[in-house]
Amino acid sequence: MMNSMIIGKYVPGTSIVHRMDPRSKLIMVFFYVFIVFLANNVKSYAILTAFTFSLILLSRIPLSFIIRGLKPIFWMILFTFLLHLLMTKEGELLYRLGWLEIHEQGVKQGIFISLRFLSLIIVTTLLTLTTTPIEVTDGVESLLSPLKKFNMPIHELALMMSISLRFIPTLMEETDKIMKAQTARGVDFSSGSFQERIKAIVSLLVPLFINSFKRAEELATAMEARGYQGGEGRTKFRLLTWKFADTALIVLLVLLAIILFILRS
Amino acid sequence: MSHQPRFRALDLTLIGMFVALMAIGANITSWAPFLVIGGVPITLQTFFCVLAGALLGRRLGTLAMTVYMLVGLIGAPVFAQFSGGFGMIVRPTFGFILSFILAAYVTGLVIEKSDGNPSIARFITATLIGMVINYVVGTNWMYFAFKFWAQAPEGFSYSLVWSWMLAPLPKDIILSVVAGMIAPRIYFSLQKTSSYTRRTA
Repeated sequence: MMNSMIIGKYVPGTSIVHRMDPRSKLIMVFFYVFIVFLANNVKSYAILTAFTFSLILLSRIPLSFIIRGLKPIFWMILFTFLLHLLMTKEGELLYRLGWLEIHEQGVKQGIFISLRFLSLIIVTTLLTLTTTPIEVTDGVESLLSPLKKFNMPIHELALMMSISLRFIPTLMEETDKIMKAQTARGVDFSSGSFQERIKAIVSLLVPLFINSFKRAEELATAMEARGYQGGEGRTKFRLLTWKFADTALIVLLVLLAIILFILRS
Repeated sequence: MSHQPRFRALDLTLIGMFVALMAIGANITSWAPFLVIGGVPITLQTFFCVLAGALLGRRLGTLAMTVYMLVGLIGAPVFAQFSGGFGMIVRPTFGFILSFILAAYVTGLVIEKSDGNPSIARFITATLIGMVINYVVGTNWMYFAFKFWAQAPEGFSYSLVWSWMLAPLPKDIILSVVAGMIAPRIYFSLQKTSSYTRRTA
C-alpha cells in the first residue's frame, strides 16, 4: 500500500516503452487524445485499435495490469455502448423487443465509441504503467520550461509535485500513528453516534494538520539552510535523454494521424 | 523582473504537504471506515479544499489544488478510491477535481475577508459555497464529457444529468455544515502552534 503510493501504478520493466524519454510519451498521450477523434469508419478504427495494441505489445506489460486499469471505467464504457445501441434510430432495424429497438447504425456507433474510449484509456494507462510519477514530473518540467519566459513558475510547480510525492506516504503513516495514539487515549474510531464520529474525526484531523504544517516548516528550513534560492542555475540529479526511439514514436504518431485523416470518411 | 523569488521555500513545502493531505482526505475511509455512512464513503476533499483556501490563502490554496490535480494526473493514486493517472481526464467525474481549484480560490476569498478572525458562520458559508462550486462545475463537466467523448445521442439531456447529480445533495449540505463547524478548530489550533501566519501578514 505505502509502496504503491511512491511509485504510483508503475510496473517495473526494461521494455522499449519503459526506457523512452518521459517527454516523448507525454507528447504522444497529449496528441493521442485528439487523434482518436479522427477515426470515424471501420478502416480507421481498425488502424487506431491496431496502433493501441501494438503499444501494449511493445511495453511487454502483462494484459492483466491493463485490464485492472480498465475496471473503473468499465461501467462507463458499457453505459456508453448501451446508450448508443438503444438510442440511435438509423439504419436497418435489427431487433425489436417492445419499445426497445436496435438499429444497425446503433450497433456500429456503440462499438466505435467504445473502441475510442478503450484506446484513450489504454494509452493513458500505459503512460502511467511504464513511467514513474517522478519521471513524469521531470518530463512535465522540461516540456513546460519554455513557459518560464512568460514568468510562469514551472520549476516551482515541479518541485511542489516532487515534495508531495515524497510526503504522501509519510503523512499516510502519520495518519496511522495518530489513530493508534488516539485509540490508546480512548477515542473510538469504529462506531458511535453521528456526534461521536465527528468528535473522533476532529481528534484525528487536528494533530494531522499540525504535524504536516510542522513538517513543511522543517523542510523549508532545511532547504534554505542548503542554499535553495529558486530554480535559476540549479543543476539536475536525474537527466533526461532523448533517444532514437523517442523520435521514432513521434514520427509514428504523425503517420498515424495522416493515415487516419486520409481514411476517414 | 524582480530578484525576489515569488515563492518562499515555506510556500512550496506547505503546498506539497497540502497535496499529501488532500490525498488522505480523499481516501479517509480507508483509515476510518466508520465514515462510510449509509454505504457511501465520505470524502473530505471539499472540506480540505476549503481549508486550503482558508489556511494558505487564496493564491497558494488555488495553487495547492492545481498541484493536487497534476500529481493525480501524472499517475500518483491521490484521487478518491486511490485512483490516478492521465486517463482520469476522460472520466466524467474529473470535473469535481477541477472544481476544487475554483472552490479553493473562492472560499479563500471568503475567509480572507474576515481579516484573520473568521467566525463559524463564515466557515459554514465557505464550505457551502465550496460545495455549490463542486456541484456546478462537476455536473457541467459530466454533461460535456458524455456529450463530447461519448457523443451521447439526443435523449441524453442536461436536466437528466442534473437529476442524477442532485440525489446526494441533502447529505452533502449536512456534511458541509458539519465541516464548517469543524474547520475553525483546525484553523485556530494551527494559528496557535505554527508560524505560517507570518506569510499572510
